Amino acid sequence: MGRLDHVFKHAFLVVFSVATLFPALWVVKMAFRAEQSFATSMNPLPTAFDLDNFAALLGDALFGRQLLNSLFVAALTTAVGVFLACTAAYAFSRFRFPGRRAGLMFLLVTQMFPGTLMTIPLYSLMEMLGLLDALLGLVLVYSTTAIPFCIYMLKGYFDTIPRELEESAIMDGAGPFTLFWRIILPLSRPAIAVTALFSFMTAWNEYILAATFMGDERAYTLPVKVQSFVGDYTTEWGYFAAGALIVSLPVMALFFALQKHLVGGLTAGSVKG
Amino acid sequence: MKSASPFGFLGPVLATIVAVALGTFVFHRYAAERADSIGRARAEQAARWLLTHGPTGVEDLRRSGTVRLAGVAFDAPPAGSRYPYLRRPIWLAHTEPGKVEAALSRDDPAEKAAADALVQDELVRLPDGGYRAAAGERLGGGERRAAVVELAPPQRVLVPWPGLSMAMLAALVFWWDLARRNPASRSRPVVGALTVSVGVLGLLAPRLLAVDRLEVPASVGSADVTGAAMLLAGVVLAPLALVVGTGWRHGSRPSPHRVAYAYIGPALLGLGVLVLVPFLYGVALAFTRASHGEVVFVGLSNFVDILSSAGRSLTEPLSFYFTLVVTLLWTLANVVLHTGIGLGLALLLKEPTLRFKGVYRVLLIVPWAVPSYITALVWKGMFNQQYGLVNHLLAGVGVAPVAWFSEFWTAFTANVVTNTWLGFPFMMVVSLGALQSIPADLYEAAAVDGASKWQKFRHITMPLLRPALVPAIILGSVWTFNMFNIIYLVSGGQPNHGTDILITQAYRFAFEQDRYGYAAAYSVLIFFILVIWSFFTQRFTRSEEA
Repeated sequence: MGRLDHVFKHAFLVVFSVATLFPALWVVKMAFRAEQSFATSMNPLPTAFDLDNFAALLGDALFGRQLLNSLFVAALTTAVGVFLACTAAYAFSRFRFPGRRAGLMFLLVTQMFPGTLMTIPLYSLMEMLGLLDALLGLVLVYSTTAIPFCIYMLKGYFDTIPRELEESAIMDGAGPFTLFWRIILPLSRPAIAVTALFSFMTAWNEYILAATFMGDERAYTLPVKVQSFVGDYTTEWGYFAAGALIVSLPVMALFFALQKHLVGGLTAGSVKG
Repeated sequence: MKSASPFGFLGPVLATIVAVALGTFVFHRYAAERADSIGRARAEQAARWLLTHGPTGVEDLRRSGTVRLAGVAFDAPPAGSRYPYLRRPIWLAHTEPGKVEAALSRDDPAEKAAADALVQDELVRLPDGGYRAAAGERLGGGERRAAVVELAPPQRVLVPWPGLSMAMLAALVFWWDLARRNPASRSRPVVGALTVSVGVLGLLAPRLLAVDRLEVPASVGSADVTGAAMLLAGVVLAPLALVVGTGWRHGSRPSPHRVAYAYIGPALLGLGVLVLVPFLYGVALAFTRASHGEVVFVGLSNFVDILSSAGRSLTEPLSFYFTLVVTLLWTLANVVLHTGIGLGLALLLKEPTLRFKGVYRVLLIVPWAVPSYITALVWKGMFNQQYGLVNHLLAGVGVAPVAWFSEFWTAFTANVVTNTWLGFPFMMVVSLGALQSIPADLYEAAAVDGASKWQKFRHITMPLLRPALVPAIILGSVWTFNMFNIIYLVSGGQPNHGTDILITQAYRFAFEQDRYGYAAAYSVLIFFILVIWSFFTQRFTRSEEA
């Protein structure tokens, strides 16, 4: 391993990282300029530190409400999605029962349903249930969208937990629920964290269904709001950028807090099927 | 061995009925209160608004048709009179033209309210469920003005949740019986008969009790109420199913299949209602011509039209085959770029002696963490012909500004660049994880045997990466194939739908041209392509399955 070799690698990685971060820095820059036009200088670093855009957004009661909407939907989706995915993944991992293969296959196949095929019927279903413009309708849809992937991820992780642990617990008289609750779940915290992150991101970032189902501005989630700043003819880039930062920051914070587990969780889970 | 009696399931059934009844009660109370407070607030707002807008406001309200009655009353001390309290309130404006300028009568409740409002505001709920609000203000010179508004009772919508809860109950019983069914049990026919009758009763009960649909004031925002009730039912039902299914109650050892179904049940129920039902409905739509609520069965004609590319030559942008080729090209380009870049970076970053690799990894993951619609919109800005950065950058090296979205290949490139930026971190993370799980001694042994770098990569890294990488690539290809956001938001299909992929094309048919049946048929074809692709790729992953 020569020194020169490392210098080249660093040079490449630095250039690549800068190129990767460029668009992201751009958003930061525009967010802190008190202008709505697109920033056109080549310097991606913020040239001003102006909080006008943020103040305008956060001072708007409607935006505050939409922020709460998003938080509510994402948090509840995470809770529902993770709970259902954990129980189902446990069964897929630990039991051999008629319909198991079919079930796994079904989960895989749901990933291939084109969104458009689902949007129209879901719209009718939500209308029938009186759940249009309702945050809980979004929660239901999002958690079911997230569940198949979460089940796959968790099942993969559960598979790696040695069965000896459960066998010894059964000797001590533990029932299936105790095994699940006291052994499997505590041992799977990293995978559950990743699953939770995934569910949260699904709900927090989803745009098309929210835009289709939410007609009332007070029921908008943030993606719909942020997108509305980018019009066909004019775009309020300043507001858009500030909104984008507000939307992205929580996800990024969670993402980086969990990124160690992310690598492990993904490789152990989804990927090893 | 089995200790549970055939009547064991009556417990949970009763519990569910109680839960549904309780839910219905709470729901009614809540809906009524919410509706009342919303109705009051609206009426009051309307009166206040009318007070500031005066007679023109009355005209506006009359035209909007949102109020039953609106009027502005006025009175003033009689000029020159010795008795200033002798006032004669009159209507300045009224939704009934005949009333204007007429004196207010104390006999009519609305007119009395308006007269009273000159002194004191009023807000009442009318016997028929409507609301009347009256508000007054003092003007200069002893003049007074009042506005009165009557709102019709809030519209009511029917929501089917009690019936649904009952159906859920019936389904639960069926499912639970299935889960606990013991072939050796002699009581099976009894259980079967009981289950069927409870199920039928559960389905019929709401109709018999005339509660299969609840009236909910529309103003409550269909929304929170129904949702709350459904959630309540779900929250009650799911753990109940879990507890019952696992035989937690008696501590009896349940059969493993029953336990398995109990754990899967809740997730599968959700998936069934919100994924399978809409999916089947969508498939059914594919055989119809559906637009604006009108549905006509047309057999296979949608499919025939699509597959024969009716009305267009095969190489025109809107033909199915053209779009299919674009989609395949798009998927291939992205998967190759994602995997290539991701794997390349992972190989660079796995170097144990490389410094700052943690920093690089964090920085390079950033695009993954950014929501895809934001990525798409930012890149759309970057590719803008006038102010986009890409053109600025090109101008720096002497290239004339490119109108990215007016030519097929440039628009396609813009899409691919955006999606590559978005997607390589996933592959990088997957590759890194897989690389870390390769034991280092394999490389050491290879080094001892004098293997070259390429040989190590070819004979150790590649084979050991394969099990992790292949499923990730398959998953990535499916995601890319259906990657709606990027295409829709970056190029938007320009020029002339050329860069649209199948999924955005289907969306356009549905929501821009209102051809739901055609769009559904398109989606079914997309689905088939993906299913075929996954069966094809199953062979790569089958060995992994335990």
